[in-house]
Amino acid sequence: MTPLDPPLNPQTGKVIDPKDLEMIFPRELIKQEMSTERWIDIPDEVREILKLWRPTPLFRAHRLEEHLKTPAKIYYKYEGVSPAGSHKPNTAVAQAYYNREAGIERIATETGAGQWGSALSMATSFFDLECRVYMVRASFDQKPYRKSIMQVWGAECVASPSELTNAGRAILKEHPDTGGSLGIAISEAVEDAATHDNTNYALGSVLSHVLLHQTVEGQELKKQMAIVDDYPDVIYGCVGGGSNFPGMCFPFVPDKLKDKKEIRMIACEPTACPTLTKGLYAYDFGDTARLTPLLKMYTLGHDFIPPSIHAGGLRYHGDAPLLCNLVRDGVIEAISFHQNEVFKAAVTFARTEGILPAPESAHAIKPAIDDAVACKKTGEEKTIVISLSGHGHFDLSSYDAYFAGNLVDYEYPAELVKQSLAKIPKF
Amino acid sequence: MEKLKRVGFLINPVAGMGGAVGLKGTDGLAEEAVRRGAVPVASRRAETTLAELSDVDALFLTASGDMGEKALRRAGLEFRVVSEASEKSSAEDTREACRSFIEEAVDLVVFCGGDGTARDVSHVIGSRMPIIGIPAGVKMHSGVFAISPKAAGDLIRRCLEGDLNTRETEIVDVDEEKYRAGALDTKIYGIATTPYLPALVQERKQIYSASSEEEFKEEIAIFASEFMRDGSAYILGAGTTTAKIAEVLGVEKTLLGVDVMRNGQMICRDASERDLLGIIDEVGEIKIIVSPIGAQGFVLGRGSQQISPEVLRKAGPENLIIVATPHKLKETHRLLVDTGDCDLDETISGRRQVICGYRIAQLKEVSASSNF
Repeated sequence: MTPLDPPLNPQTGKVIDPKDLEMIFPRELIKQEMSTERWIDIPDEVREILKLWRPTPLFRAHRLEEHLKTPAKIYYKYEGVSPAGSHKPNTAVAQAYYNREAGIERIATETGAGQWGSALSMATSFFDLECRVYMVRASFDQKPYRKSIMQVWGAECVASPSELTNAGRAILKEHPDTGGSLGIAISEAVEDAATHDNTNYALGSVLSHVLLHQTVEGQELKKQMAIVDDYPDVIYGCVGGGSNFPGMCFPFVPDKLKDKKEIRMIACEPTACPTLTKGLYAYDFGDTARLTPLLKMYTLGHDFIPPSIHAGGLRYHGDAPLLCNLVRDGVIEAISFHQNEVFKAAVTFARTEGILPAPESAHAIKPAIDDAVACKKTGEEKTIVISLSGHGHFDLSSYDAYFAGNLVDYEYPAELVKQSLAKIPKF
Repeated sequence: MEKLKRVGFLINPVAGMGGAVGLKGTDGLAEEAVRRGAVPVASRRAETTLAELSDVDALFLTASGDMGEKALRRAGLEFRVVSEASEKSSAEDTREACRSFIEEAVDLVVFCGGDGTARDVSHVIGSRMPIIGIPAGVKMHSGVFAISPKAAGDLIRRCLEGDLNTRETEIVDVDEEKYRAGALDTKIYGIATTPYLPALVQERKQIYSASSEEEFKEEIAIFASEFMRDGSAYILGAGTTTAKIAEVLGVEKTLLGVDVMRNGQMICRDASERDLLGIIDEVGEIKIIVSPIGAQGFVLGRGSQQISPEVLRKAGPENLIIVATPHKLKETHRLLVDTGDCDLDETISGRRQVICGYRIAQLKEVSASSNF
């Protein structure tokens, strides 16, 4: 296996010094970020909070199987039972905890679809921290109630780009009507944290410590599968920045590499923002304003603003370096889908299993259904696991748009972009 | 108090008469059309539009008699005649009325007619002020036409209320002499400014990172300026979207013609088919960028005939890059090609990637127009 390439300092181009990160992250999380330990214990205080909704249920999709008339066994592990409605609190609680331990009083963050912002708002309220969330404007307008729920949990949610930061003002000057992007929102939150002494930054995805916190999902999944004496042939999960999917499947990676288990792990992303399937594997910035360390990852370019598809949480130009590394080495596969086919699958799922999936999560349902249908021909009793990362109760306007026939299927012009990717810094 | 909005309004009373009697257009043939029993349709259509405007606060400036005066009187709207039309109105009367509209500094020009009338109007008005066409002609390929007389009323109202953006669009017309002889030869005659109703007004923030159509042209152009650095020669078809690409690269493109650029330099302006074939032989690596022209969504075979079947075959159909704003794609059910070579049209047809923003494309159906 290829060792992970380390993050680089954008000013010097040299490997980042953990001290460089202390301006925006607590020391304990930086330690986790750099750690190569196999196990890191969950603090009791965090564990107590996780107990509010963990372990999350693993369901067998009997009704969906029946509807598809498939011999395959379809399971889904449902993270939508958390109070915030997704897998995001798994890391939000831990991050809020370590920040409070470090004496931090306020956290700034960004959110794409609103799941992360909601989760962190809840987590900061548990630890009496202030919280400001920069929410990508496209989603802010689509899902006004995300802002409401963040307010209930005591956080302040502002549309990004905003007038509150230099990065936001610069973008607004050029594109006053922009729908924003995750890259822009990250720039704003990082700037906010760097310019306020009592404030740290928190990221809901991409970084290794976030993935670490999310592995609670996969560890539970393993035990739950063992209870029913089964084991996944394939795990599907959606990928935006890459936290839920790695969290679900990383605990299975040693099985595949060391124990030679035949398990496939497939990352599902939108064709409009196909980072893993069409991106370039290179060092790039994590944000639009080039404030973050340079990360080795698949990237569509930090200056790419993905089209405002309805799976707002999957609109990110890069992906978690750990995940990218495994895709690069062929341990994990990637696949992409158009939003109309994804919504179609989501509706089938809702009408059979009852649960209304988030459009993001539905990216994992689509290939699972395809796979199960293919099993009808082969007769294979394949064990398919869907990582169902969240519910879609805040995404109903997107479902409306789907039913009204208003969803456009976007493509990423990969060949033409390849011709023009000279903008990515080379190291 | 806000100044009362002024609308220049004219009707080409004979527009559309040729169609029903098989004349495929009425240019120069109004008398023949009447002899064949054609009845005027334009006034009626204009009145449908005007009926939508009964409570609009505006002053209409118009030409006398059938060219506007009568219709406005029947509609009960406030108006003033600023141009005297001759008894048998002609293209010159249309142009004369438009000159008066410029003198009177109207906010908006509304005409009722077809592509011929659009040509006469845009010839005088140019991009000075926005133009809206009430569709009443035999052929309406130009981008200034509303989809129906009623829709035109809605556009005019919103335009006067000031809540519409404008965009540049092509004035296109068919050579009626050739058309009657069975050949379809469309040319771009000019560029006009027209207000448009973004069909997507409610979802714009959900779907787009930019809102106005001009911003999207710019996004497309910036992307093109990046991928065009590969050393190939780029043939740029006619139209405003391709012109924007040249503008972003800092060179001026002939709006109505076909130009060739390489490494950021203009290497051939207003190229003929022969020029293009010569460049292909010389350069080898060649790509073609076209965008839909006018209202029907033609990407090839209308407006840029220099990009002939031979040029396309030599360049390789796979090197054809289609660019279009999301607005245009939303309005056009499918894009059309009519190169005059059916096999080639078939090769180009199918679901193709259309560049619609910065590193963003949509899949769009491209069809041979001969299939319809």
